[in-house]
Amino acid sequence: MTATGSAPALHGPDAADPADRYLRGRTTRSAAPRTVLSLARVEGSLLVRSLLVLAGLLAAGGVVWLNIRSAEPLWWNFGWRIGLGQVVLGMAVLVAAQLAAGRARRNGMTDLYASFPATAGTRTLAHLAGLLGAVPASLVLIGAVVTVAQLLGAIGTPSIAVLAGGVLLVIAAGAAGIAISTRFPHPLAGMLGALVLFASSGQSHLPWAAGLWLYPWASFGDQLGSLPGPLAGYPPGGAHALELAGLAAFAGVVALALTMRRAQARARALVVAAGIVALALVCLAGAIELQPIPTRDLNHLINEIADPAATQHCTTGSQVRYCLYPGFGSRLPALEAPVNAVLAHVPARPTRPLTLRQVAGLSLPDSTLTHGHPNRQVSRWDAQANRTPANRIGNSAGFPPASEVFLPVGSWPDRGGQLADARFDLALVAAEWAVRIPSQAIGSIPPEAGRGGAKYVPLACVPRGQAREAIAIWLAIIATHPSVGELTGGRYGGGYVGVKVGNSLVPTSLWAYPENGLAVSGPGLGPQTTDAGYLLANAMTKLPEQKVARVVRDDWNRWLDWHTTDAQLAATLGIPMPRVPAIQTQQGRPEVDLLCTT
Amino acid sequence: MTVNVHTAAVRASGLSRRYGSTRALDEVDLSLDRGITGLLGPNGAGKTTLLSILATVNQPDAGSVSVFGLDPRDAAERVEIRRRLGYLPQELGYHRHFTVAGFLDYVAILKEITDRRRRAEEVARVMAAVSLENRARTRIRALSGGLRQRLGIAQALLGQPDLLILDEPTAGLDPEQRLRFRELLSDVPGDPVIVLSTHQADDIAAICPKVIVLLQGRVCFAGTPAKLAASAAGQVWAAAERDQKAHLSWRGADNLWRHIGDQPPDGAELVAPTVEDGYLLLSHATGAR
Repeated sequence: MTATGSAPALHGPDAADPADRYLRGRTTRSAAPRTVLSLARVEGSLLVRSLLVLAGLLAAGGVVWLNIRSAEPLWWNFGWRIGLGQVVLGMAVLVAAQLAAGRARRNGMTDLYASFPATAGTRTLAHLAGLLGAVPASLVLIGAVVTVAQLLGAIGTPSIAVLAGGVLLVIAAGAAGIAISTRFPHPLAGMLGALVLFASSGQSHLPWAAGLWLYPWASFGDQLGSLPGPLAGYPPGGAHALELAGLAAFAGVVALALTMRRAQARARALVVAAGIVALALVCLAGAIELQPIPTRDLNHLINEIADPAATQHCTTGSQVRYCLYPGFGSRLPALEAPVNAVLAHVPARPTRPLTLRQVAGLSLPDSTLTHGHPNRQVSRWDAQANRTPANRIGNSAGFPPASEVFLPVGSWPDRGGQLADARFDLALVAAEWAVRIPSQAIGSIPPEAGRGGAKYVPLACVPRGQAREAIAIWLAIIATHPSVGELTGGRYGGGYVGVKVGNSLVPTSLWAYPENGLAVSGPGLGPQTTDAGYLLANAMTKLPEQKVARVVRDDWNRWLDWHTTDAQLAATLGIPMPRVPAIQTQQGRPEVDLLCTT
Repeated sequence: MTVNVHTAAVRASGLSRRYGSTRALDEVDLSLDRGITGLLGPNGAGKTTLLSILATVNQPDAGSVSVFGLDPRDAAERVEIRRRLGYLPQELGYHRHFTVAGFLDYVAILKEITDRRRRAEEVARVMAAVSLENRARTRIRALSGGLRQRLGIAQALLGQPDLLILDEPTAGLDPEQRLRFRELLSDVPGDPVIVLSTHQADDIAAICPKVIVLLQGRVCFAGTPAKLAASAAGQVWAAAERDQKAHLSWRGADNLWRHIGDQPPDGAELVAPTVEDGYLLLSHATGAR
């Protein structure tokens, strides 16, 4: 038995009623573009409100903050650091996009979706367009970092290409998530994809240019943060953004190709053409990224670093010279403030002027900078870079000249603390200069400390038991008013450093600062002070400031004499000498320093 | 038997579909007119396969389908059929984190209702039709099974489809909801072609002017419910005792045994057959049960 009994004519003039003929006539004006837009709007708004993306944004903010809080705000460096956060945001968007695009299959709605006029290709296209919903999160991240950086007085201007690269990275990650969902709708697939992105974003061991091209989301050990200015093509931001755009397009094309198997030949041809264009973009970007940085630009950079005086602009105020690289002029007030605050309490300044000079250091050879250049050229640059003032700090080539304080580009006190914000470190080196603590002394490293026998090298001297050290610390404290907790915590958090002076062990400590512990390098190699001096200075702050200031002022030349002891100063002030805790011998072998005797 | 060939909106001819060694459909021919057609059959009879082919979701191994004169094998015509289609699959999952209104809005876009105002009106209309207007902001995960089934029906009604395919829409509905569903189908505007697959013979009897019985992948009956019931005339009896020779027998609410069989049991009284009787007899005759 059949429903029709005699077989009906399925096609032909009598097969369809007038309505059917009407339908045949109107097939088929495509509504796909409007459907894509409407769907994309919904998917975009879902992405904007996604808790996953919000969590990713917060995590991204945290990652960027961790990466910039201890670095000097320089836009040629910060722009790329935002990218680290964009990778984290991209991971969240990848998972969210994969979940969204795989929603129908995961929720058992494949049959229903297959009955809709909106094809799988249309839906995929809408999901891809909906990735624009992740852009606000990416822009919020950029906006937040830009705001923070500007508040911190960032130098330079953000590169639009570099920032756009971050946004494109997020979109590319989302497109990858959609491509994954076409074959693997299970939520774990998206998480696995994000994990792969994360794992491959670590420090790459590939050569710089190849690594940047093959893993455009990876981080590299570059020297951007210590450059005195932007270096064109380091890294090539425009090509990087172009590559990420190509990758985003390619991931989108893959997603479309996997969902358009039943599409018309013309649509398939369009997808293939788009894929070819996307790959061409990636290859073009790679060709640009593999280009070495021009020799002329690198020469200019090395010269700028090796001979900062040639390019720096110097300003003199209150017998102090501030020499800064072009573009860093806005730093001047922040540098002058702590120095002037110290000098305001000093009755007589030294005859020799103090110079605060910015220095930049480069570590060569570095494939991130010199890839593509012949070894001989790189060696020449290396030799030249080794003669830079910054590279001389801490090695046998020498200390900064007398009465000169170096401000390494890129070093920056930890943010958020009063101690750091007030530039206590700068105040202290200015105070040490004011009380004439010498910046260096020539000494010898005994055989057990140096390798291969005694060596004569410049060493920082230690003002052991000298009144002037306590006065210098006291001057720095009253000039910057750090809280007691910060001062104490910062000092002992910086690490215990006992030094041997003659046959005595002198307890000393460093204040905690980022990077190498010092934001400045100057007299005495920065604020390395004895515990006795610090404890006496601290006790002096408990006394009325006027009283201490009068005692210091009235007998200024006596206090500056290295023979005048801290005990004498304490007696004059009418306070007992603080007891200094003994050195614990298990805390390691102390360094060997010399007593300051001038 | 012939069903109004000239005005049939949906036609299938020689439809066959296999899943491995299982023959789900075996040369099915049918014609569907505007109005409600009930599709009756046991589990595994091929109902869902047939409906999925009519909904252009599935493709037959052999045979052809014409929907409003359009051939689903042609990509453009397939899309045109889908524009006129409302489909409720048998086992429908949901995007559980969507709200009721949000889900319907999403489906409306997939049905190419891209004008915002029209979409909002359409969503409001179908929510009212299934009495979900007070749940517009409720997340789907918070809905009971019955409410979800109503939501499924609502999405099928979006766009006022000319062809409404409902695969077991009353599954999971309580008796009151089933009555409301019958009321709803009776009021669907536009006089669409409605195909309703169900196990419930009383649903068919109540609202379907036509019924098709599908057994073992074949159309075994096509006609009115009255004809299906009449096919069991003279083979349904009521008796105080159970008759072991009957094809089927069960005790009714009146404490009498109802027998379906060729021979009347002793002391049995002939009773008027129902659609269910006709269907059961038919399925027994084909060995489908």
